[in-house]
Amino acid sequence: MPRPIHLWAFLQGIGHYPSGWRHPGADPAGVFTMDYYARVGRLVEKGRFDAIVFGDQLQSRGVHGRAPEHLAMPTLDPMALLSAIASVTQHVGLVNTLSTTYWSPEGLAERFATMDRISGGRAGWNIVTTAHPDTAPNFGDDELPEKSLRYKMAAQTVAQAQAVWRERNAELGTSPQARPVFVQAGQSADGRDFAASIAEAIFCSAPTMEDGIAFRNDMRARVAAAGRDPDAVKIMPGLSFILADTEAAAIAKDQAILDLADEKLCIEYLSESLVCDLTQFDVNGPIPVEAILAQTILPKADIARVLEKPAAIGLSLGKFAAGYVRTPRGHNVFRGTASQLANMMIQWIEAGACDGFTLQPAYMPGELEIFVEEVVPILQAAGALRTEYPGSTLRETMGLPRWPADMAA
Amino acid sequence: MTRSFILSAGVGDPALAEPATSAQILTAAEAAGVDLLLLGRHDSLPFDPQVIAAWAAPRVSRLGVVPLVSTRIAHPFHVARALSAIDFLSGGLLGWAPVAQGGSAAQLADMVRATRALWDGWDEDCLIIDKEAGRYLDTTKVRPSNYVGTHYSVRGPVNAMRPKQGHPLLVCDAASPFAVPGIDVVIAAEGQAFPAAARRLLRVEPDIDVAAMAARFEAGEIDGLHVDLAHPLAELGRIGESLSALTRGRAAEGTLRERLGLPLTLRNVYEEIA
Repeated sequence: MPRPIHLWAFLQGIGHYPSGWRHPGADPAGVFTMDYYARVGRLVEKGRFDAIVFGDQLQSRGVHGRAPEHLAMPTLDPMALLSAIASVTQHVGLVNTLSTTYWSPEGLAERFATMDRISGGRAGWNIVTTAHPDTAPNFGDDELPEKSLRYKMAAQTVAQAQAVWRERNAELGTSPQARPVFVQAGQSADGRDFAASIAEAIFCSAPTMEDGIAFRNDMRARVAAAGRDPDAVKIMPGLSFILADTEAAAIAKDQAILDLADEKLCIEYLSESLVCDLTQFDVNGPIPVEAILAQTILPKADIARVLEKPAAIGLSLGKFAAGYVRTPRGHNVFRGTASQLANMMIQWIEAGACDGFTLQPAYMPGELEIFVEEVVPILQAAGALRTEYPGSTLRETMGLPRWPADMAA
Repeated sequence: MTRSFILSAGVGDPALAEPATSAQILTAAEAAGVDLLLLGRHDSLPFDPQVIAAWAAPRVSRLGVVPLVSTRIAHPFHVARALSAIDFLSGGLLGWAPVAQGGSAAQLADMVRATRALWDGWDEDCLIIDKEAGRYLDTTKVRPSNYVGTHYSVRGPVNAMRPKQGHPLLVCDAASPFAVPGIDVVIAAEGQAFPAAARRLLRVEPDIDVAAMAARFEAGEIDGLHVDLAHPLAELGRIGESLSALTRGRAAEGTLRERLGLPLTLRNVYEEIA
């Protein structure tokens, strides 16, 4: 028997590709309707996924008040979407992202306590500290707290939330999982140490199998050093995919989606990513490195590193932006057939590169449908994916300890 | 236009967070002809009402779902986003009942204004979604709110769409009053002053003198009734039956605002300020 593959569906907005909303199989208007989420929730449950994950961002849209015209809406509120999906599904876990910097411990604890009860024990919390500087003004602040301070606040907030859950469980009877499953996604040293101390599942980017092995080994060592069992922490790297009947057809399909990213979309996407308005610059001219570094409110050293190589080889702004759209957020992007993808997933699991995958369909819901119809049966036939859910709570589905040790009275 | 009788009920029972119980209560409330189901009470929130409202969204066809929103744990930015999503997911059947648990009426009013300002950053016709042309949004119809209040400052706009109804129906409980223009519905007990609002509901016990209430409704003294439920399933059945003469034949289609004849009168905060 191969090691079981855990599957998460990362269902942000209308798909992983910035141009995915323009694909004929995408339903960009659907993301404002319950019908769309009912369809997606049932699809994911049919594919026997562990969980649906929604990310979250709290900055307003656009660069310094300038909204993009060619990019799709990021998302509606994830708590509302996941709670509504809970109502029309029975098994799939619901991982909600909430910020420890911009939520009070009491507020988020009450939110998750209710989500865990009303969903019958399917709540997970993706614990984030919020990195986007434009978030602060939406909460009456000028600036984000500094990064190491944000992680200190996160540890405190989690501890305070645990205290609220203990109190609530004593008052109202224990909720099905006592508290949500803890998920973390930080990649920095601060983020990894924080994850090692509390996370039960970790979302990361691993563009190659070697990257996955290195990350998983590092995390397992950190988890063990923190006095916890490494097997009780699942590593779930992102995986975007484009499927077709032949590899050549998949590559052509990928190119067709990328071709939907016209010059304006690419420039807007790069502007959003670098937090700098690039719409005023000549796309055929050089990358305006000085202007970007002067404007951006992201850490300048990080941005300088991103720009260094493309600027050195003399890439035009337009070419750079077009390339940036190709590799959104540095995740593994697979192009090929359903059986090639299934083989790749099994191979990664066997090699110890991960415990499962956080699937990020290129566009929604069309590409997710293809995965469930074509890849899931192959994985199941190979004995790599469950055919039935083992229980009703996310802990049971994830193969995590039945009861979180920190919630003992 | 004939005035439509409004039936409102409130549930503060912790069992509302149990899916089996909650499903039964929602079904019973729809069957009883309830227009507004308040989730939580001004003095008691044993669950997060916004989570329950989102869970209820796919299960209602005419029932207005009205989560209590407390300044104790809520921030306008989070409130604006969650309520916008729930309004879409319920097909425009959302109301909200802001309450100050231990806070001041001034803070509560400020939360309402800030939340509205965040919604008003998006015009209702701002989405284009033209796949062919690659244009998603009319950017001239999106703007920061730059709201600065006494308790809250928010830049905005909210990073989600304006709610389906423009603003969800705004409900004020006289037990936790706040003063802003454009309150849609107020609930007050006998002898309590009604804050200014488009519709006035009298808080009554489940055992109602129906004839007396019908007379007061006909006289235009009240626009409907609100009942706090202690035993929701039993009481909803009784209320539905005893009030059937008042609730029969009312509109069953459309958004909550459309059904209750309560169009959005405040187009946006800029008009409010002007």
